[in-house]
Amino acid sequence: MAAWLVRRFALAAITFGVVAVILFALMRAAPGDPLSRLTDDRPMAPAEVARLRALFSLDQPVLTQMGRFAGAAVRGDFGASIEYYPVRVADLVRARLPASLLLGATVLFVNLTLGIWLGVLQARHRGRRIDRWLTRLSLTGYAAPSFWLALILVSLFAIKWRLLPAAQMTDPLLPADAAWWVRARDIGAHLILPTVALAVVTLAATMRYQRTAMLEVLRLDFIRAARARGLSESRVIWRHAWRNALFPVLTLTGLWLPMLVSGSVFVESVFNWPGLGSLAAGAIATRDYPVLMATALLVSAVVLLGAVVTDLGYYLLDPRTRDP
Amino acid sequence: MHSIRWSVLFGLCLAGPLAGQAGRRDTGTITIVIGAEPTMPIPTWSSGKANADVGNLLFVPLARLGRKLVTTDEKSFEPALARRWTRRDSLTLVFDLDQRAKWQDGEPVTSRDVVWSLNRARDSTVSLTYALLLREIRSVTADGPFRVVVAFKRAYAEQMFDAVYHAPPLPAHLLDTIPAGRLTSSAFASKPVGDGPYKWVALEPGQRLELAANPDFFLGRPRLERVIFLIARAAEAQLNLILDGTADAYEAPLVPRQITPIIEKPELRISTRPSLIAGYLLFNQKAWGDRSKPHPILADPEVRRAIGMALDRNGLVKAVFGPYAGVIDGPMGQASWVRRVGPKLPGANLAGARRILAQRGWTDSDGDGILDRNGAPLTLRLSYPGSSMPRVLFAEPIQAALRQAGIGIELLRLDGAVWSDRRARGEFDIDLSQVLLDPTPAGLVQSWSCAGIGGTNVASVCDPAFDRALDIAIHAGPEAPDRWRDAIRILQSSNPAVFLYSPAGTAVVHTRYRDVSIRPESVWADLWRWSVDPAQRLARDQR
Repeated sequence: MAAWLVRRFALAAITFGVVAVILFALMRAAPGDPLSRLTDDRPMAPAEVARLRALFSLDQPVLTQMGRFAGAAVRGDFGASIEYYPVRVADLVRARLPASLLLGATVLFVNLTLGIWLGVLQARHRGRRIDRWLTRLSLTGYAAPSFWLALILVSLFAIKWRLLPAAQMTDPLLPADAAWWVRARDIGAHLILPTVALAVVTLAATMRYQRTAMLEVLRLDFIRAARARGLSESRVIWRHAWRNALFPVLTLTGLWLPMLVSGSVFVESVFNWPGLGSLAAGAIATRDYPVLMATALLVSAVVLLGAVVTDLGYYLLDPRTRDP
Repeated sequence: MHSIRWSVLFGLCLAGPLAGQAGRRDTGTITIVIGAEPTMPIPTWSSGKANADVGNLLFVPLARLGRKLVTTDEKSFEPALARRWTRRDSLTLVFDLDQRAKWQDGEPVTSRDVVWSLNRARDSTVSLTYALLLREIRSVTADGPFRVVVAFKRAYAEQMFDAVYHAPPLPAHLLDTIPAGRLTSSAFASKPVGDGPYKWVALEPGQRLELAANPDFFLGRPRLERVIFLIARAAEAQLNLILDGTADAYEAPLVPRQITPIIEKPELRISTRPSLIAGYLLFNQKAWGDRSKPHPILADPEVRRAIGMALDRNGLVKAVFGPYAGVIDGPMGQASWVRRVGPKLPGANLAGARRILAQRGWTDSDGDGILDRNGAPLTLRLSYPGSSMPRVLFAEPIQAALRQAGIGIELLRLDGAVWSDRRARGEFDIDLSQVLLDPTPAGLVQSWSCAGIGGTNVASVCDPAFDRALDIAIHAGPEAPDRWRDAIRILQSSNPAVFLYSPAGTAVVHTRYRDVSIRPESVWADLWRWSVDPAQRLARDQR
């Protein structure tokens, strides 16, 4: 297994390197000069502009820039942000990461608990009214764009009925000395709408995959045998059938793992959620290359990690996937 | 049992702030939504509206423009850091500082600060922009600790404006030991120390900026103790924050579809005022991306005139902004005093536009509805940033209107950075521009004179007759309004743009605030005079 892991991580590292080179080249090829925007905003002398251009290596050929970037990045140093100069990119990412992790983890949690449970429920009641209704609902959710859904949710729950906050992660006026549970409640209230907006689509997919996988397993002989042995239905479903119907969901989970850090640019914009998605969106608008590279590479790393974790899950759960 | 547990959890989430916040005292708080990050709200170190809005609460200028924004009448200015000013002669202004003024670190504000700040701003090795704006100042000297003498190179009507508007004083005792090139990355840049009504507390990048009242502010203790700027880039988030009650105030040029939901909220009050923003169709007079060649179509001033005549500017502006904008006749916002003296442009004349184009050889030889000449169609590309809602709303009606005159328009809706980059490089035919202008018309030199080519004059507008008229107007004395009228008329006659609109600045403020006054050139500068109606206090007004 150690050899398998080493091979798998080596492959991921090579892929990561290729992705990094492509990202760097694409960003430099895109139109727009970050310093021209910065000097629009700050009246600077030519000498100061030249100093900044040199500081960000923008006066160097692309290959030199790439070499310098790679050298610093392997030490974990992404330099200073152009837009927020002199703030370090690492500090910006560190400040935004918890918000992304919180939103992503909540969506993933809802997805993997509610989605799986509803998928199993549908499979158990195949063809009945509850299955038909859940199918309709999940297809509707799957078809609804998150951005549109976010606007509808805000318009109803925040603006019309004033039940939940429309934007931000916390109440901007929450006292600094507020008790932890007041803070937790505040964050919880702010978390509901963005979670729903993001989870509806992924939840629908999980339900569909889980339902299909369960239906295939429920037809198999060992399930009939388990029932014949007089096991309770819930034991048959959760102990025997569900464990064998996990693989498609495992694959989906690997695909959704990047959501932990990437969130959704549109949903984060609508809810003004202070995550990496909105940081990346701002960096795209301002051509803040260091921030853009850092966020893009972080997402790439998590995508690759998700793939490795999925493969590892298959490796551990299904001996047929192991090398002879 | 399950449902009870869920109800309790849900209720906990939805419950409002707890009652019985004993021991809290009444203060006043205001939460303002802004659309951009105030990255460095220090006068002359940065520009942009967000920086200016915050900077006006941290730093106090020598004097403020009067409510009518007349930049040529020194008597209309309102005292601020300078309690009075006198004129020694036509070339010299003397400012007496208010001796009560203190920096927020306790040091007094003295003439040394004013001299250092103005001299730094005039230094062309520090900033070409400010060096150009302050080029008529010959010297700035201290005459004792609280008197400053500003000498000018020549007599002109806007001396006072130049002396007080561009470079409010900064604390020299904290800054004069830092090398000039390092100032913008110094500790001061990330936590400025001002002399204004509010003090810097903390900035969370991309999130919020908190300011606290400066109890020692020399003009009086601010009645609102906390000011929180919420940073929201997306227009939807900005509006939602004000509509759901998270924020108390918001200011932007708004279109009717954004204003309607605000009107439906009884706790929100909308006030509109003329703004210094101007929107226009800018004609590139040089070839796309090549400033060495004339534009094949738009170099002809008669074609530019015909395009202007083909557009019903009143109808377009009303369709996009409703009553919340006015039509302009030059590169000046509705709030600009020059607009009141400037000549008016004639209305739309579609037949006249077609006639002019026919005289210039543009005819529809192939019957496709688009005019052509020597086999080349009269088709132009209209560039605009997709992030600007007014411009997005203008684009298609303009396309349709020009089609009526036989002019084909290809719409280029661009990402903001791409639009800005292309504009700077002259890669456009017609640009749908929207700019925030200074109150002084003297700023026209940057974008509309031959001297501005290579800088902000991206369309290569160059008319020596206008340059001469502009120079005369800038340096005019009491006859300045007449000279400005002459200059604007010459600019109009060369048709460098179709001047379209100046949106109203729309401020949305919660009704619980009293003594609300909004300055036309600086929305929140008078915030320290506002207070909260005791009968309408919210939990957020207590600490």
